[in-house]
Order: sequence, then structure tokens, then C-alpha cells
Amino acid sequence: MLELRNVVHSYPGTSRAALQGIDLQLQAGECLGLLGSNGAGKTTLLSLLSGVLALQQGELRWEGQPRLGLVPQQLAFYAGLKVCENLELFADLYRLRGAERRQRLQQCIDICALEDKLTRRSEQLSGGEQRRLNFAIGLLQPADLYLFDEATVGVDAASRQQLLAAVEQLTADGKAVIYTSHYLEEVERVAQRILLLHEGQVRLDLDKRQLLGDDHGLLLEWPDAIPAGLNQLLASLQLTGEVLPKGLRIASLNGQQLLAITEFVTAQDGLPNLLRFGRPSLEQFYLRLNGGRL
Amino acid sequence: MRLWALVRKEVRLLLRDPHALAVLFIMPTLFLLLMAGAMSSYMQDKPPALRLLIDAPQGDASQFFRDALQAQLADSTLLTNSDERLARVRLPADFADTLLDSPHQGPSLSYPAQFDKLSRQRLQSAVSIALAQTRLLAYLEDSGVVDAELSRAERLKVVQQRTQSQINEQEQLASGDLSGRANATQLSVPAWLIFGMFFVVLPMAGGFQREQQSGTLLRLRCLGLNLGTLVLSKLLPYFAINLLQFALLLSIGVYGLPLLGLPALSLPGSAVAYPLLAISVALATCSLGLLLAALARSSEQALLLGGGINILLAAIGGIMVPKSVMPAAMAQLAEISPMSWALDAFLTLLVGHGSLADIAPYCARLLLFAAVCGMAGLLLFTRRVQRTQWTTHY
Repeated sequence: MLELRNVVHSYPGTSRAALQGIDLQLQAGECLGLLGSNGAGKTTLLSLLSGVLALQQGELRWEGQPRLGLVPQQLAFYAGLKVCENLELFADLYRLRGAERRQRLQQCIDICALEDKLTRRSEQLSGGEQRRLNFAIGLLQPADLYLFDEATVGVDAASRQQLLAAVEQLTADGKAVIYTSHYLEEVERVAQRILLLHEGQVRLDLDKRQLLGDDHGLLLEWPDAIPAGLNQLLASLQLTGEVLPKGLRIASLNGQQLLAITEFVTAQDGLPNLLRFGRPSLEQFYLRLNGGRL
Repeated sequence: MRLWALVRKEVRLLLRDPHALAVLFIMPTLFLLLMAGAMSSYMQDKPPALRLLIDAPQGDASQFFRDALQAQLADSTLLTNSDERLARVRLPADFADTLLDSPHQGPSLSYPAQFDKLSRQRLQSAVSIALAQTRLLAYLEDSGVVDAELSRAERLKVVQQRTQSQINEQEQLASGDLSGRANATQLSVPAWLIFGMFFVVLPMAGGFQREQQSGTLLRLRCLGLNLGTLVLSKLLPYFAINLLQFALLLSIGVYGLPLLGLPALSLPGSAVAYPLLAISVALATCSLGLLLAALARSSEQALLLGGGINILLAAIGGIMVPKSVMPAAMAQLAEISPMSWALDAFLTLLVGHGSLADIAPYCARLLLFAAVCGMAGLLLFTRRVQRTQWTTHY
């Protein structure tokens, strides 16, 4: 439904292009997790997709008329209006009418748990409630592609699960989603594909399962240095440890090897900060790829 | 539907903003009442009545002089005895005998310290006329032209007929400043009404900044909202607010001021001229508001810029200090202020009883100002909306 080819974008007065030849394809029903550190080009890419920035170079093709729903980082609603008035206003602006209007409004109110807040002035809501309203207004819009930019900052854990479920429902309904967040566990949950931008270039564009795989391993983190003797133990077990910023990841190990390592760890004076066995998380991958920078 | 939704939103936000309501309605009303009250004794339609002491010898000529003076100062009280400190007109003892002398020694005038300059001039003028009429009567009697058998009232009438001329007076309303002739009500009501109307620039510009800062403008932009719809959604509510201010503050002038013992505002002149003036001023203020909305970069800047420009335009435009008491250079400078044009148009109607044609030049200037500000505002507003960025804080 969306295709970008060799998209380049530069801001006036800067020597390096913010986007340097981006290629991207997005299908209906697909959720793309957009990752990258500050200055990587995420905002520029979202601005181009939303039409806020004009395309300078390259191609941007939409299948049909682009219809976008967006949940920006900013609380993009009128603080002086009541919650219901904000929702009604944007329903009018989205040209929602009749049964569809009522249905979408009720759906957004339910998903974002705003039922008992409808008559309150938006400026009087807590930070998390305001974030939910912002989310609801984006979700209310009938669109083919939804852009979520740090949409759940400040939202409590229970509400966050509800919002993430709503994002998953969008893709299940055949909508395309681009989801960017510094909460990588959220991206890991909702995205089927991960796109990592680095200095304006696509550093990685992979299916999440392909990226994280089913390769179970052991992750160890210590407060200070790795205990002496661990490397000799790993060598004796014919294992190699991948050094991470705070510890070590040991991949592809069997039960005997796991038992030997855990016995070694428990025999040490100080306990490790983290001892986790399982599939690597997106955060671990991201930190490894991005040199330890979130 | 979208325009109506945005207009309704602007009105709701405005009605819930106590500061904006205070600036648009309460502030000009208070200024109007306070200033009309404060200036009511200074700026009156009629000069204040005088209380005078006439010290004159007995006789027909003295009595005639007194009647002639009373005719000149119809509302004033002429006393023969009083312990009060009053202005005094003293006729010489040989007043009747020396009326036909040339040169003639007239009456002497003495004033208490608090007797103001305007009243002194008025008294001098009235005494000069009464004396001239008394001397004319003496001459006419001496020449046998006036029958000595006539009563004093009849003789006064004869003399008045002989001394009165038909003077053809014409108003040159287009020449501008009528503030010197306006009473406190005629000056205060339009002045603070115009001042209040111009203050719509504050909520207009401030609201736009908040819209941009909060990201709602980004949402509106991504909706592909027509720019004309966006601009109209800002202009229409404030245009309506301006018309409401116009009607409300004029009503206070007409019906409210008399309740406080102040002169009521009457609305003479062309009935069509008032709506035309209201529309011209409203277009000027809303266009200026659009320009400031596009120029300011934050709510704070909008507040400072809008408030500062309004106060400056009011100060030089004769709103705070009537142009009639300004030095010539300042009065000339006032001509650059749209508030001054609006006030001149108002005074042309209220004081000069002008017609639509009389205020047309002022309305034309206001509409030209609206066109220039509107064009510049539209251009900058468009650029501003187009440059709205997707912003990230992380």
C-alpha cells in the first residue's frame, strides 16, 4: 500500500542529509516498528509520510488515496474542551456521520477507557489520561495507515496493554501501522517488522521473527566486571560468550551446559544483576546494533 | 460541516477563557464607565452655570445692562449680595452718564482664584456684549430712534434685533478631529469600544500559538484541511465577537450611563453608518489578529506583541488622550493609528451628526488597513501552517 524508493531529504543549512536513500515497502495489515536513536531520521520519515514535509528526492507511492491516522507525541487536542467535545470535534473533522460515527466514537472511548472522563475538561485530566485521549483521537480517524509516535508515554501499565491491543487489532483489521517508541518491549509486541534507522540510512529491515529467532540463550549481567573463571568455564564447555555493554550472552546451550554455568554463578560471592534464559529481546538486539544507545 | 465544527470550537474555547472575556468585555466596560465618569464635569455639552455678583449703581441703565448680561448668560445666577467668593462685575457710579463717552471706561471684573480660564473668557465676552447693547440703547434713545415709553424688555428686544446677525455655519466633518466638541460620553464610549474591539487580537493570536504548540495544528494539517476553512474558522468567531462588543458597549452608553447620572449617548446621524463602521472596525481588528497570529512564535510573544501594539495604537490614536488636547505634531502622528480613524468616524456620527458619506473616508482607510494586514497575515499564516513540523521530544 506504500512504497518509498531512494528517498533523500536534507534540511537547509545542514551538511548531512537527514534521510539518505530510504527504500521501504509497507503492506496492508503490517505493523512496522520504527527504531533509531535521536537524529537517526525517524521524525523526518514520519513527516514525509504524513505530508508535513514535501518530498525532495526519490519516490513515494501510495496505493490509492493516502488516508492517515496519527497519534503524535504531542498532546494534540484542545485542552480547554471537554473530552467528549474533543472527540466530537475530531469526528466532525474526520467527516464521520451516522452509525459509523457512533460506533467509532464508542469503540475509541472503550479502548482508551474514557467513559467516565467524557464530561471533564481535557486540561484537568492526568498525564496518562490525556495521553489516552490523544490516542483515542488518532484511533477515531478512519485510515489505511496509522502513525504512532511515542503514543503511550506516561500511560499506566493496564491502560497501556489496552492501547497496544488496539494497535494489534488495527493490523488484524488490515490496516498498516508504523509504530515508533522508546519502549522497545511495546515495539516487540505490536510490530511484525523492525526497521532500524541510523544516521538517515536503513541499517536493518527485518521480520521480527527472523530478527529475534527462536535461538534460546542465557543472558548474564553483573554490577561490575564479569567474574574471573567464567571465560575458562565457557571454553571448557565449548561455548563462546558474546560480550554486551553490561554483561554476556551465551547462545545455543543445552541443559548440562546451563546447569554448569548456573552452579558457577551461585558459587560466586556476589549475585549477578540479571540471569535470564530465553529468546533475546528486541532491546538486547537494539543495544547491540546501536552501540549501547537507546 | 468542518468550518462550523471549528467555529464552534473557537467559540467554546473563548467562552471558557475568563482572561479573554475580561479583556474583551469587562475591561472596555470598566474603562468606559470610569472615564465617562471622570471626565463628565470637564467635558460637557454646555458650559457650567456661573454665579456672579453684580455691583451696580441704581438706575435704568444699570438695570438694562443686568438684563442684557442675564440674556447672555441665561443659565447663570446674577446676585446683588453674597458672602460667597464669586466673580464680581462692578459698574462705575457714573455708569449711566458716561455710556456715550469715547473712550469709554467699562465695568471692572474681579475673579476668585478658582475661577477657570474658560469661565473668565465667557464672562468677559458676555459683559462686552451686554455693555455694547447698553451703549447702543443709550445712543438710540439719544437719537430719538427708540421710544422712551417702551418697557425695558421691549427696549432689550429692539437692541437685540439691531445687534443680531444671521451667521451661516457649516460643518466640515471631513477635516477630522471632533473630540474637542465631544462630551465625556461621546468620547469615552467610542474610544473604549474601539480599544476593546482591537483586543480580539490577543485571544486570536494566543489561540493559534497554543494550537501549534500542542500539535493540534499538525493534526489539522494532516487532515488536508483547506487553508481557507482554517482561516475563516479563526476570523468568523472573532468578527462576531467584535459586532457583539459594538452593540453591547453602545447599549451601555445609551441605557447604562444615565443610570449612573451621566449623560446618555444618543446615536444621531445615518442609521446605516453604524453597522458599516462596526464591520469596518471588525475587519481591521480581525485582519490584524491574523497577522499577529502568524508573526508571533509563542503565546507569550502573542500576548506582548498584541497588547503592546494595541496600547501604542490607543496612546497615539486619541483613545487615551483626546486629540484635541494633543500638540499639533502628536495630533498629526495620531493619523497613522487605525484607532484614530475609527474614533474620528464615530465622532463624525455622534458629534457632527454625519452621514454615510461623511464617514466613508474613514471606513475606506480601515478597510484598506484590513486588506493590507489580511493579505500579509494570510501569506504568513499559510507559510506558518506549511512549516508546521512533526516534533519529537525524545
